[in-house]
Amino acid sequence: MDVANRELAIQLHKLSICYDGQWVLKDFSLEVFPGDKVVLTGPSGSGKSTVLRCILGLAVPDSGNVAVLGETITSHNIWKARQYIAYVAQEPDLGSGSVREVIEKPFTYRANCKLRNNLEHLPALMERFNLPQSILHKQIANLSGGEKQRIALIISILLDRSIVLLDEASSALDKDNKQAVADYFNQAENITVLSVAHDTEWLEFATRVVDMQEHNSIIREEK
Amino acid sequence: MNRIIDISFLSLAGSYLLLIIPLGIMLYQRVSMLKETVVAVIRMTLQLLFVGLYLQVVFKLNSPYLNLAWVAVMVLVADMSILKGCRLKIQRFVLPVFVALLAGTALPVMAFVGPVLKLPGWFEAQYVIPLAGMILGNCLRADIIGLNNFYQAIKANEKAYHQSLAYGAGFTEALTPFFREALRSALAPTLASMATIGLVSLPGMMTGVILAGSNPFTAIKYQIGIMIAIFTGTSLTVFLAIRLTIRNSFNSYGILDHKIFRNT
Repeated sequence: MDVANRELAIQLHKLSICYDGQWVLKDFSLEVFPGDKVVLTGPSGSGKSTVLRCILGLAVPDSGNVAVLGETITSHNIWKARQYIAYVAQEPDLGSGSVREVIEKPFTYRANCKLRNNLEHLPALMERFNLPQSILHKQIANLSGGEKQRIALIISILLDRSIVLLDEASSALDKDNKQAVADYFNQAENITVLSVAHDTEWLEFATRVVDMQEHNSIIREEK
Repeated sequence: MNRIIDISFLSLAGSYLLLIIPLGIMLYQRVSMLKETVVAVIRMTLQLLFVGLYLQVVFKLNSPYLNLAWVAVMVLVADMSILKGCRLKIQRFVLPVFVALLAGTALPVMAFVGPVLKLPGWFEAQYVIPLAGMILGNCLRADIIGLNNFYQAIKANEKAYHQSLAYGAGFTEALTPFFREALRSALAPTLASMATIGLVSLPGMMTGVILAGSNPFTAIKYQIGIMIAIFTGTSLTVFLAIRLTIRNSFNSYGILDHKIFRNT
């Protein structure tokens, strides 16, 4: 609880992470207020996805720290923190089984079982994101990239998290579906969204755009 | 029943002549396994010669401590070959896998020589060492399949594993599907051989007991006992091998440490 600020949904403080002798992030700081829709942009390899992975504890920074909803993340409280965060990975891998099984799976976890009733919103969400009901019986492996992305987005919405991390989560969607997703998060004022994106539609939706290249060029100058 | 006929050294040497057939096939089809075959045959001969001489001494002395030490050596060798077979780092896993093998072997052996055979001494070399060897050999195979399957599956499906953590799964909840699959694939071969035993092949132990001059009915009783012991031992050892290595293989955020693999 040291440097954390209660006001902030996400606070990254001087995050540095090094893979195989190369800095992926160096002293990266970011503050995201509740309800903000922040987009990270920049060329591939600029550490955008790593930022999201650090917030989830899927990557552990070499130095610096991450605070979620005012609590500095440690290996002890990360398990709790993950219950406030939804994450849609780039090209999501949702495991195996039918689409319905995949959607219901997270609700079997002890942390989410009280959210099981949210599954009644599933038909409405599927309609909103232009997915036919028949898709529920298909095997997840047979879905297209765009369909998988929408299923992953729907799961994240059903999990009712206050922070949503989207890693190129709309990259395989057509214009209309992209708009449908942007509209959904835009009207959800209480949800904080931190996303990684390239496309212009998505940038329009942002309340703030953070260019990782600028951050990286600062690193290079320092070197 | 007759006592078993010993094989003279000269006739044994003659049996090597049979190897002309596999070697001939290899030469004819140009299967490049000649060197491996020669090495394997030499290794088999030397290892078995050593074991034969050693076991003669062990059986003669029949000292519980010596027997125990011999079983410990067998477990350690099995331990090393599992880690080699799974390409896992030795220093990290040698102890947990040793414990898993020891438990998976010792418990069924003790049940066999104790309540089942009611041996006067608990450590009769003639019974304990062959039984331990058979169960251990199966534990070794099961652990290789189980550990390999578990860690390789998590490595191959790391994105799906991370996604389940991100969806709020507890550590155990996220690992459960992989654990279940690893147990299933490690136990499947033993299960399959139990289901076809006697129909497809006459198992080694039964053959041994028959050759030694016993009644076939005694032989099948031994075989049933050993199959149950093997199945119990393999389930226990695979469960423990995975359970005990998990702690060293993931960081406290639940992420797989890729440094557990060799040559990566």
